[in-house]
Parts: sequence; structure tokens; C-alpha cells
Amino acid sequence: VFPGVRQAQWLTKTKLVEGLPPAVQGITDNPALGLQELEERAKQVVSHARLWDTAEVAPRRERYCPVLFENLIHICRLMSGKYPSLSKRMLARNCRVAATWERESILLQVRGLSGILMNSMTPIPPVASKEEILATKEHVLETFYPIAPTIDLQEVNVYKELNDTGFRDGYPYSHPHTLFFLESANVRTGRFRPEQLRAKMLMFAFGNALAKARALHGNDPKVLEQPVVVQSVGTDGQLFQFMVFQLNTTDLVSNDGVKNLVWIDSDQNLYERAQCVPEVKKGVVTKPAGISGFQPDTFKKFLALYLHGTV
Amino acid sequence: AGAPGAAKTPEPSAGAAPYPDIGELRTLACDALLQESFYQSKQRPFLYRDQDHTPGPFLTQLVSTLAASLSGHNPLLAASSLDLNPEVNYYWHHGEEVVVHGHRKGRVDPVRFQIDDNPHLQIRVPKQLPEVVPLESDLGDVPVIDHKPSKLPLFKKQYENKVFIGSKVADPCCYGHTQFHLLPDRLKRERFIKERLEDQIEVVYRSNGIASLFAWTAAQAMYQGFWNEADVTRPFVSQAVVTDGKYFAFFCYQLNTLALTAETIENNPRKNICWGTDSKPLYDVVEDGHVKGFNDEVLLQLVHFLLNRPKEL
Repeated sequence: VFPGVRQAQWLTKTKLVEGLPPAVQGITDNPALGLQELEERAKQVVSHARLWDTAEVAPRRERYCPVLFENLIHICRLMSGKYPSLSKRMLARNCRVAATWERESILLQVRGLSGILMNSMTPIPPVASKEEILATKEHVLETFYPIAPTIDLQEVNVYKELNDTGFRDGYPYSHPHTLFFLESANVRTGRFRPEQLRAKMLMFAFGNALAKARALHGNDPKVLEQPVVVQSVGTDGQLFQFMVFQLNTTDLVSNDGVKNLVWIDSDQNLYERAQCVPEVKKGVVTKPAGISGFQPDTFKKFLALYLHGTV
Repeated sequence: AGAPGAAKTPEPSAGAAPYPDIGELRTLACDALLQESFYQSKQRPFLYRDQDHTPGPFLTQLVSTLAASLSGHNPLLAASSLDLNPEVNYYWHHGEEVVVHGHRKGRVDPVRFQIDDNPHLQIRVPKQLPEVVPLESDLGDVPVIDHKPSKLPLFKKQYENKVFIGSKVADPCCYGHTQFHLLPDRLKRERFIKERLEDQIEVVYRSNGIASLFAWTAAQAMYQGFWNEADVTRPFVSQAVVTDGKYFAFFCYQLNTLALTAETIENNPRKNICWGTDSKPLYDVVEDGHVKGFNDEVLLQLVHFLLNRPKEL
């Protein structure tokens, strides 16, 4: 229908940068992490999720998408044997977030179940330097004249302008670290397409960051001394979308001034295909059973986003 | 038809290596409990789904964070596979019955059993747990029950005859380490106390432990090629924790024999053994963001279970 991410950028006053930020890239290139051995485990884990996890012939997406996610997170979590500070993380499922803001006299709101959220005791340090943040002042937000930027958004009467992180005060794991979105509906029409998924990831990363910034620094719109960084990962069980969002300002009404930043690495396949039963044509096996086309880089990015902020 | 094992006293604790910091683990456990019951804003639980609201998520958090934290002390955990809500199935024959009606009336058939289990969480590993007692040990007698299995609620429905440990045969993690079972709402302690059936509370934990562990260990043995005519040459050991979210009971099972059919059981002196504890509370109550009455003993037992591994590791 409408290029989703560009609309989300206008709504959240954000500038887009293609690819992952250098801080995260640096983690994938770090040899001390022993990423080669983990590749074997990652391959096994994909085989488990896509081929072995059911007594039936093939698991369905509703099953294999969450199982693949749990398996990948299990591998990442096991690294806390080597890096004990990783245990200062807690996964929260079905958490609700609420954030309200104004853009050019339009009142916008992000509310609802924001997928699976990993919280951390320590915040992720800002990924963009002060100069890069100031440079966003020059950036002009793309407008969509004559289409209103709120097209396709649900119009509701808002009685309470809510800002809620989803957790009570005193929660020790108080910094939202990474959001995970699993598009696991079996039927294709029940799943978000990649562009829409990325837009949803951006809106919820923004919502969580905004609610956290308001909880830390109050409700007055201002440029943040300490930008808030929230990451997002979206997948349908095979294709992964990676995103790092940095909230630089809560002054969102006008179109000028410092903008927020988002780095997006889209459409990364973890593997090419998963064949549960070998395909045989005229007595010859054309496609053997198993996982083919495994891409270790995608797994490395997943792990790098997990480790970001601690390692 | 008879029960496949005999419940016994608490099991021996596992291997020693440098001890993990109990204070740290206690903090992790309390954090998990507080997050699920206090800090995260949740809506009210659905009707009769209290277990899905707090105890279920708490158990998942507790096990995943403890297992990850202990993987530095137990290399077997570092190579483990964690399954959420897996399926475990086992099918076997035991005893005989006479066909009652139909065109096969009067013939003698084996009695068929099928267990279809859904543990809340399970850990599978690539190497087997060590034996607790030697293969031929005899620690007691097995009770004999004369009526048909379909009179017990466990064996009424038999649809498909399956054997499954939670993953297919190709998976390298083909041995079971520990299962975690969450008791459903209809078996809540309060209900038993209200109906003055307190003596049945432990029965629930024990029956769950025995049945689930038998099915799991026997399915593991089948995956390795053993069956009732080719009995196991080494014992299969697995552990289980049965809980309602607050009270925890620990079980350890050693499978010594698969030969349970009418023909093979005649000269078979081996018995399967299950050791288990009574259920004990992990904590008293959660009030205002603090866990009161945390019981280190229960946590220690859980840590011992997770640290269990073959002696060579």
C-alpha cells in the first residue's frame, strides 16, 4: 500500500542510515568471541527448529518461528558462561508499552503488545557521535504531499495521554535493550510483509525509547544529553530484519532541529531452504533433505545485537 | 497391569567442580520471580488460566537464566538444547487381556499403553547422565494392579502410537537431562485442601514424575535401538522437577529395562527405579517487590540437578 518505513520516519522524526552502525559491525568482526564454533551450533539449531522439532513430517511456521527464536536466544544466553555481565539481562514476553507525542499538531500514540522485549540493567551507549547527531539538523524529513502522513493510521479518541514503559518503578532491568518481533502466522496474509514489519519495528522501538526517555528526563520536549538506544529484530523464521534506533530528541512537534537516527539492515536470510523430505524427480534426488544455504553472517549480526552494550 | 517403577527417598547429589556463587543465583531467581509477579504490568489472568499468568513464565525465566549462568560450570549445559513446550510420547505393551466382544472374542491380546506428555520445559544433551546404581539393582518390589489401564485417567485416550523424545532421531542432543513440569490449575493445592484430600497432594507430584520420566527415558532408549526383545545394556538416567510455581518436587529416574511385555517380563529380574522428594516451597510470599522466606535448600537442589553430568566432563 504505502512505503511503510518512510512514513514511520516522518512520524518519529527520524533519519535513516542503511546498514548496521560501526559499533555493532565491530562486534561481528571481533575474533575473540569464537564465532566460528558458534556457527556449527547455529546450523544445528536451525535444523532443530525447521526439521526435527515435531513428531510429524514438518513443523509449521507457528511452531518453527518461535522455536528458532528461542534456540537462537539460548545460544546467545549461554555466552554468559564466558561473559558473566550478560546475565544482567531479562527477557519479558507480552509486554505492553504506551507512548504519546505530537507531530505538527497531530497527536500520535503507540500502544499495545510490543512483542518480546529484552531488558538490561545497563543502557546501550549511544551509537552516533555528537557530530553525527548535530549533522541531522541539516536533514530534511521526507514529506508525502499531497498524501497526509497519517494515512492508514487508526484514528481514535484519546482520553488519557499515556506514557508507560510497561514496568513498575524499581525494576532492576530498567533499560529496554532489544525488541523481537516474530511473524509466525501460518497463512501469508496473516504476516506483516518485510517493509511493514520494519515500519512496525521502528514505531515500537521509538515508543519504548520515548517512554523510557520521559521516565528518565521528564515530559518536557528537549534534545537529550544522553540519547536512548533501543534495538529491534524482526523475523518470519527465515528472513531477518535488524534495526538500531537512537532517540536524540523528544522535541517532536516541529520539523526542524536535531532528528532521531535509525540504522536498518534489511532482508537478511538465515538460510536458503529447509527441506524436510528429499525431493525426488524420476528416481533421482534433486533436493536432499536438510538445511541448505546457511548464512553465518546473519547469525553473527543477531549475536552482535544481543552482545551490544555489554561486550 | 502394573506401575513401571517404585518411588524412593531423595536422590544423591551431582558432581563437584568449583562451586557457583549461590548469592548470585538467588538474586537471579528472585529477579525472575519479581519480574513475572510484580514488576511487569500484566492484565488479569484469564479464567482458570492462573498458571499461564505468573508461574509458567516464572518457571521459563528461572530455568533459562540459571542454565545459562551455570553453563560455565557444566560443559554439558553449554552443549544443551532447551525445548519449550515439547512433545514426549511413548508406546508399550505390558500384561495381557482377553478380547471382550467382536469377531476376535476370546483371543488374548497384549494391553497397550501410550503416554503423550507435554512438559513445560526440557533440557536435552548430547551425552548421557551417569548411572545412579548398577543396572541389576533391586531396591524393592513393584505393586501389582489388576484392573485395566483405561480405568485410570492417564490411559483412557489412545489415538496414535508414537515414540518421541522431543526431537527427531537426527538431533545430536538425543539424551534427556532434566524436564520441568508445571501442574495445571485444576490440580492446585488449595483445591485439594478444600476437599480435605491433603494426602493426595504428593501423589500428584509423584505420579507426574514417574510417568513422564519413564516415557522420556524409554523413548531415549528406543532412539538408541533398544526395545523389549533387545533390552538396554546400560541404564538411562534423566531428572525431572515438578512444580506448581511455588512448591517444587525433584525426581531422578533410572531406566534399567524395557522388557515389559508378557513374553519378555517372565525371566526379567530388572526393575526401573525412581527417586523423589516431597514438594517444598521455594519462597513464602511476594510482597511489595520483595521475596519473603526464600528457601535456599530448594534452589540448591535445583542447582545440583542442573550441574549433573558424566564424570569425565
